[in-house]
Amino acid sequence: MTKRRKITASRVGLYLAVIVTSVFVAFPIYIIFLLALVPTKYTIYSARPPLIPPTISFVELQAAISSPGFAGAVSLSLEVAFMVGGLALAIGIPTAYGLSRLGSRLAYGLTTVLFVVNMMPSITIAIPLTVPFIKYGLYGSPISIALAQELLALPITTFLLVGAFQSLPREIEQQARVDGANRATAIYRILVPLIAPAIVASFLLAWMLSWDESTFALILGNLNPPTLPVLIFLSVTGRGNPTLAVAFSLIATIPVVILTVLLQKYLRGEDLASGIRG
Amino acid sequence: MTAQLELDHVSKHFGDRVIAEDVSLAVDPGEFFVILGPSGEGKSTFLRMIAGIETVDSGEIRIAGTDVTELPPNKRRIAMVFQNYALYPNMSVYKNIAFPLKMQFFSRDEIEPKVRDAARTLGITEILDRRPNQISGGQQQRVALARAIVRSPSLFLLDEPLSNLDARVRFSARAELKKIQRDLGQTFIYVTHDQKEAESLSDRTGVLHLGRFEQIGPFHDIYETPTSHWVGDFVGDFPMNFLPEPSGPNEIGFRTEWIDIGSGPYSAVVEVAERQGDLVSLLCRAPGGQRVFLTTLQMPTIGETIHFGLRQSLRFDAKGQRIEGGTTGALPAH
Repeated sequence: MTKRRKITASRVGLYLAVIVTSVFVAFPIYIIFLLALVPTKYTIYSARPPLIPPTISFVELQAAISSPGFAGAVSLSLEVAFMVGGLALAIGIPTAYGLSRLGSRLAYGLTTVLFVVNMMPSITIAIPLTVPFIKYGLYGSPISIALAQELLALPITTFLLVGAFQSLPREIEQQARVDGANRATAIYRILVPLIAPAIVASFLLAWMLSWDESTFALILGNLNPPTLPVLIFLSVTGRGNPTLAVAFSLIATIPVVILTVLLQKYLRGEDLASGIRG
Repeated sequence: MTAQLELDHVSKHFGDRVIAEDVSLAVDPGEFFVILGPSGEGKSTFLRMIAGIETVDSGEIRIAGTDVTELPPNKRRIAMVFQNYALYPNMSVYKNIAFPLKMQFFSRDEIEPKVRDAARTLGITEILDRRPNQISGGQQQRVALARAIVRSPSLFLLDEPLSNLDARVRFSARAELKKIQRDLGQTFIYVTHDQKEAESLSDRTGVLHLGRFEQIGPFHDIYETPTSHWVGDFVGDFPMNFLPEPSGPNEIGFRTEWIDIGSGPYSAVVEVAERQGDLVSLLCRAPGGQRVFLTTLQMPTIGETIHFGLRQSLRFDAKGQRIEGGTTGALPAH
C-alpha cells in the first residue's frame, strides 16, 4: 500500500512539473493571441488586463493584413526562406556526403568547425558582410539576406545530413557503383531517397530559421519592403503600432507551427531506420 | 586464351594491414575461382579491390584483357553480390533487379523481359512487388543474385553470399549457385572462409593468407598436398597432423584419414573424444606434445594410448614449406 501511494505521489509531481513547464512555454504564445484577438481597450489600454478575454475581435488582424507593408513583407520573407532552404540542400547534400566519407572522427571535427559562425553574434558577422555585398551590388537584395542567413542554416543542415549519410551502410553506395552508377547518380538516385526524411527535416529547419531571422534581414535588406520579422521589429520601435506587431507575430507563427508539426513526424526517424535494414 | 581476370603484381596496404602483397593471378573465362582464407584477413577488401571500390597501391588489374586499374567500379563491367546483399531498401524487388539495366540506359520494354528472366532463373517471380524488408534472407540472397545476372558482366564477384543463410538453406543455395554459374558459363570470383564452399563450388581455390596466395589449385590438391604447414593446418575439417621427423629439423604431415589405427610406429594419448554421427572424433596428444586428430568407430576411454601407422604422409622443412617427393607408407619408429 505505501509503495503504491509513493508511486502515485511521484506521478503527481511529474504531472505538476509537466504542467508548470507547459504553462511557462505556452504563456507568451497565449499573450500573443490575447493581444491580437482582443480589442485594445481590454489589453494595452487597460491598467489590469484580464487573462480571460471578455470578447474577441478580428479587427487588429484585419488591419495587419491590409496594412501597406504586410503583403510585401510576407512575399519577401517567403522568397528568402525558400532560397535559404533550397540553397541549404543544394550545398548541404554534397558537403554532407563528402564529410560522411571522411571517417566519423574527422567528419565530426569538421562539422563542428562549421558552427563557428553560429557561435558568434549575428551582428558581428552582418556588419562586415555589408562591405563585400555593397561592392558586388548584392546589398539590399533578397539574395544578400538569403546568403547571410545561409551561414546559420547550412551548418545545421550539414550536421543533420552527415548523420543521415553515415547511417547508411557503405555497401548500398558501393553496390550502386558496381551496378553501373557514377558517383553523382549513386548519391542522387540511391542515397538521397534513402535519407529523404533527413532532407525534408533539413529543408524545413533552414526555412524556419530564415523565416524567424531578423538581424541579417535588418542590416543587409533594403527595408522596402522589409522581411516579416523586420516589419514586426519596426512596428514595435519608434512610432510603430505594437498591436499591429502582435498581429504580424501571430501570422508569422502560423507556418512555423505547421512546419514544427510536420517536422516532428519526420524527425522521429522511424522511416529511416526501417528502410535500411533489409 | 586471354584470362578473364588478371592481377599483375598487385599490392595493397592499409597502414600495417596487408591486403595484397605482390599478388599475381590469372583466372580463366568460365572458371569458378574461390578465394579461401581465415576471417578478418582482408579477403573482402581484396575483392573490393578487384571491383574498383578500393584502389591498389601498385600493380595492374585486367578484366577480359582491359586494364581497369584506374577505372571506377561503374566502368569495370562487373557484377557483385555483397555479404549483406546490399539491396536498395526503398525499391521493390523488381526495381532492384532492373537498376543495373537502367544504368545502361535500356528502355522500359527491354528491361522487363530481362528482369522476368532473371527472376524466373532464381524462382523469385512471386515476390517482384515486395520490398527487401518484406522477404526472407534466402529470398534476399536470390534477389541479389538476380540483380547480378540480369546484365552480362565480364566478371561476377561474390563476397560470402551464403554466410548469412541458415545451414539448411545454405546447402541448396550452394548447389543452385553452382548450377547457375555452369549455365551462364561466366567467370565467378567467390570469397569465403568456409572450406566446404570452396570444396563444392570451385574449379580452383586460392588460399589467401596475409595478402599472398599460399596455394592455388583444385581444392582436392590443396587438401591432399598442401604446399605449406600453414595451408595443411588451415584446410580440412581436421587440421593436418604434424610430427617431427626422428632426426633433423623437418616434420611430417598427415591427414586423419591416412592413419591406420591398431599398430604402427606412432602413438598418442586420447584427450577428448566426441561422437559425430557414425564416427568418433578424437583429439590426442603425441609423446612430443603435438596434437593428433583421429577418428575411430568405437568410443575409447580418455587417457588410453592409441598406436597407429600411416598409409601416406608429406614432409615439410623447418620453414613449414613442403619438401617435394614426400614420403609414403610407414616410417621408421622413433
